[in-house]
Amino acid sequence: MTQTALANDATETLPDIDSFLKPSHDEYSRQRAVAVLHSHAVLNLRFDVRKTYERNVKPQFEAANGRAPKDGHEIAKAIKDDHFFKFYSAIRYNAQEMGPMTRQASVERALPQMIEVARQAARLRPAGGSLQLDPDLEIPRYITQVDTHLAPGNYHSEFAEDDVSQGVLLGRGLSSNSGKSRIHRTRNFSGVGDSIAYWLKQTYPDFRPRRVLDMATQGGANLLGYPKAFSGCEAYGIDVAAPGLRYGHAKAEFEGVPVHFSQQNAEKTNFEDGYFDLIVSSFFLHEVPLEATKRILAEAYRLLAPGGVLAFMELPPHKSCDPFLNFTFDWDTRYNNEPFYAKYRSQDPTELVVGAGFARDAAFEVTVPDVTSFDMDKYPAFLRGEVEAPPHGRGGWYVFGARKA
Amino acid sequence: MPTLKDPSSVKLPRVTKGKRPYFFADESIDQVMTFFLELMTEVMVLRDRQDTIERMLDEKGTINREDIKTYIPDGDVEAERTAEHAAFVGRVLRIHTPGGREDDED
Repeated sequence: MTQTALANDATETLPDIDSFLKPSHDEYSRQRAVAVLHSHAVLNLRFDVRKTYERNVKPQFEAANGRAPKDGHEIAKAIKDDHFFKFYSAIRYNAQEMGPMTRQASVERALPQMIEVARQAARLRPAGGSLQLDPDLEIPRYITQVDTHLAPGNYHSEFAEDDVSQGVLLGRGLSSNSGKSRIHRTRNFSGVGDSIAYWLKQTYPDFRPRRVLDMATQGGANLLGYPKAFSGCEAYGIDVAAPGLRYGHAKAEFEGVPVHFSQQNAEKTNFEDGYFDLIVSSFFLHEVPLEATKRILAEAYRLLAPGGVLAFMELPPHKSCDPFLNFTFDWDTRYNNEPFYAKYRSQDPTELVVGAGFARDAAFEVTVPDVTSFDMDKYPAFLRGEVEAPPHGRGGWYVFGARKA
Repeated sequence: MPTLKDPSSVKLPRVTKGKRPYFFADESIDQVMTFFLELMTEVMVLRDRQDTIERMLDEKGTINREDIKTYIPDGDVEAERTAEHAAFVGRVLRIHTPGGREDDED
């Protein structure tokens, strides 16, 4: 019996979990349409919002207060009744809300097969990765209370045994908005891992991480760049939400990259002190309360070996943006179900890492070029400080961290 | 956590948890904006349908409904359609105040 099972397993090949997602003509078309609407709001109409602010809102504020608004919060209050701002916000909000709706039906149809593939991946592990779930892990209230980014069900909800649906819905999946047809050439959310890995290699030529940990990894989309960039580096990804881990594990095993996924809270993990040489995350801390952020950074400090590097990709903080840019970034905290976003951005990242135990002179804050869109001939000039990276989210990524002494 | 169902009968939630913001003084306008943006989306879908039919007729001289239903565009077609949608959105969402793109540095 056991032998038969083994023989079967040896010949069984793992399919690509995404290959079961088969949107209809109209569903696929709808996905693109909504992505275009959303991009139009955040990348084009935003300039018109700035114009309306400069022309109408700011002069009125100045007339009433004898000074310009001092921060994004004051602009948010002053612009609320502006006619154009209301349309901008309604378009952006609706396009955000419509995103998951355009994908849910195809995820539902593929779900039985996708769950089977994820189970098969966990059983066969052809690439040698692993998946460790903890059904008793308490999902933090900051995840269960609101649906982040207006995605019903958020990261963690499970609707069937061994569910992957929220992982697929919020993960990579089949996207009409990627590769050659990407709506905006410089906005590539899957370029983060590759971009930071490349920057680390150039900045710390002696750095040879044995193990990398990605905190709040979801499906590991931004983790895979590290084992590819640093040969022999073992990859670990943790998240509180199981659906993304199951999906990510199936994806990594299919792609032949061994990744060890486990369901853990980054505030308190079960890894030994100094187990990692590199700890990364992306799009993470602005989604948790400040107290959790502090515990997460302290945990990262504990987990890093001497000489290890912390590199978190995040939103640029208030201090490095002008008041108007802060207002546009912080729109999300009010209207995109990201209650901790503005509070996180009000912090100084260097102070946060110093507070976690890192030496001040070992801390860094940098916007690195996205290697999937940057003119790489200019990279040496960027490293010498002669050329700036494009702004965060538009060809560059803001990263902060430190090297542990 | 919801009760676990058989995978073939899972219906994912369509309503977001959290308070919905209203941008206009009259909430009916927010509702009308939702109707309007959904309708814009459906017009883009129809434009794609028509394009699919034209392409199939061009290439094969014939169409059938099953082929249309399962048609996923290749990279070149996808890029063309993305550009087409972007232009459509730009035309329909024509704002009264002139935009400030050209003279804005960021």
